[in-house]
Amino acid sequence: MLWTKETLKYPFYVMLHPFNGYWELKYERNNKINVVVSLIILILLALTNILHSQYSGFVINIYNPKEMNSIMEVVYVIVPVLFWCVANWSLTTLMDGKGKFIEIFNATCFALAPIVLIHFPWIWISNFISIEESTFYYFSTGFALFWFLYLMFIGNMTVHQFTPSKTIATMLLTIVAMGFMAFLCLLFFSLIQQIVSFVYVLYQEIVMRN
Amino acid sequence: MMWNWKRSVRSFLCFLIGAVALFSIDTQRAAAEGATDTYNYSFWGTTVKSPAAYTAEKIINGQQFDIGAFADPNDIHVTENQDIYVVDTGNQRIVILNKNLELVHVIDSFMNNGQEDTFNQPEGIFVNELNDIYIADTGNKRIVHLNDNYELEKIVDSPQSEVIKQDFDFKPVRVVVDKAQRIYVMASGVFDGFMEFNADGEFTTFIGANRVQVNPIEYLWKQLATKEQRSQMVQFIPTEFTNLDINEQGFIYATNGDSFGDTIKKLNAQGNDILRREGYFNPRGDENYYVDDGPSRLIDIDVWHSEIYSVLDSKRGRVFTYNGDGHLMYIFGGLGNLRGEFVNPIAIERLGNDFLVLDRALGEITVFEPTVYGTTLNEAVKAYYNGEEEDAYHLYQETINMNANLDFAYTGIGKALLRQGKYKEAMEYFKVSKDQMNYSKAFLLHRKQVLRGYFPYIMTGIVAFVLLWFGWKVFRNVRGGRRINAVD
Repeated sequence: MLWTKETLKYPFYVMLHPFNGYWELKYERNNKINVVVSLIILILLALTNILHSQYSGFVINIYNPKEMNSIMEVVYVIVPVLFWCVANWSLTTLMDGKGKFIEIFNATCFALAPIVLIHFPWIWISNFISIEESTFYYFSTGFALFWFLYLMFIGNMTVHQFTPSKTIATMLLTIVAMGFMAFLCLLFFSLIQQIVSFVYVLYQEIVMRN
Repeated sequence: MMWNWKRSVRSFLCFLIGAVALFSIDTQRAAAEGATDTYNYSFWGTTVKSPAAYTAEKIINGQQFDIGAFADPNDIHVTENQDIYVVDTGNQRIVILNKNLELVHVIDSFMNNGQEDTFNQPEGIFVNELNDIYIADTGNKRIVHLNDNYELEKIVDSPQSEVIKQDFDFKPVRVVVDKAQRIYVMASGVFDGFMEFNADGEFTTFIGANRVQVNPIEYLWKQLATKEQRSQMVQFIPTEFTNLDINEQGFIYATNGDSFGDTIKKLNAQGNDILRREGYFNPRGDENYYVDDGPSRLIDIDVWHSEIYSVLDSKRGRVFTYNGDGHLMYIFGGLGNLRGEFVNPIAIERLGNDFLVLDRALGEITVFEPTVYGTTLNEAVKAYYNGEEEDAYHLYQETINMNANLDFAYTGIGKALLRQGKYKEAMEYFKVSKDQMNYSKAFLLHRKQVLRGYFPYIMTGIVAFVLLWFGWKVFRNVRGGRRINAVD
């Protein structure tokens, strides 16, 4: 293992130099360590999400303790990322993408770094702002979103060695594929539910029949 | 010894549980006897329990006055000196009661050009501050204006104007009159809003038309249809109003029967909707309902002092009361056979602090009286509206002592605290009422106060830092210079 200070600094390098950063991420760096760093970013994002919904200032966040659920907040982060990675991988294997699943996952997680970096301090700063000043909050979160999209774009392009136009097309198709996956998941779960209830009713019939 | 001790503890616990159970049964019975608890909506849109603001106390059905039961009564009106006018449609008469609910007079005819004239299915009534009576004599297609001696002043019928079709059938249903004697009429089959007549009874204009609400699916079909098919289809027309009332400032409050959009409107002289919708929800009756049943269908509105207004939902028989900002104050009533429930409620009116609800099917007026909670809340809203923040503060405190779930009351308390300079506490109250604007206001003042308190320290810190930095630089230059010299 090559855990150095540089490893932890690397996400910042990717944020600021995405072309070089993603290239090295794919071709020159130890994939195992990359995955660990990706997971750390993902965990930090989930943590930011939880803390944001609980501790952000009242002017930007009306908080309902009854509906706050940390596990759900974690799910809201992890499920879309996994959906994206699976959908993107499924599509790009058909579209001559050069990326492996793990590389797609790394690229996606590294792209999330600016969101963590910008949202995290705002959890505390937002407690000291008024409604008029909340414009700064909305501006910086918007900025974080654009940064994230930009990194996603570069990351996808580098990982799969696509042209820019093909990258955009792939990303749009990935979103469509995510929709399909969500639909299939719903279908699957509702079918399972039906089967379970069918078996249960059958069981009840047998048990009560005497 | 030990065993004994344990047993005594156990028996004590048993006794305690038994006592608690007994006590709770007792309180349950007490609560059931009241059986008046109603609900309200929290900020989150959930239904929360609320103490009853009004309870049914009396029922009037005309029989106690030896004039026969009301038959299909359609409207009531309470004047400024609290006389009650009931439009007894089925009996073609107007029944006048005083505020003690005693019979004063019955109008069943009037002299018209020396001949006795009667009503035909009258449906609406309005009495202004001069005790002039305006009756929407629906069956006779006219409005009858009587003076305070029940003598005919004028008759308004068959309005003539360029904007009215020649074959227009004038069927007035509800009527209100403003301080300048202008008459506003809600007529059936009119989609252009209310008909406004001047003091002489001449038609002047339509005001406040509802917008056309287009169903997207129907619109699509209409686009696909041929011209012949389209001519067979139902036209998109704006909905009719269902009722109207006027407040002392001359604003018309109106309800319409739409199932979406703004069903309550406050119209200014130009017919624009100026209702304040600052509450947690747009005022429209029930927030939670079964999709099959649909939203509330509002059929009457009554404006009170301090811009408080109440609307009647015919679908579920409930009366919703809002303050001027659009916060839901309280709900009462319902469909059913118990006292305080209705079969076919048709009109509501305030009688002082009391409430009258007219049931057309039963021909009854139910008199609701405010509970302590209702009175306190009414007074609190009034004080708040009039800017008496000190009074509002105490009244709202009392209110939330009786109903901690009344979210908007905390804003009233917060505002008083803000005025008193207790910014930190005000922030807490605004947080409870989820009032971000006021919270932000209080927070800014609080922040200013805190920062002003620390200003000397902060300034001292900055100056000290700058001085130290300069000092360090000079020191280093001097020392560094020496070192360079030394190296040299």
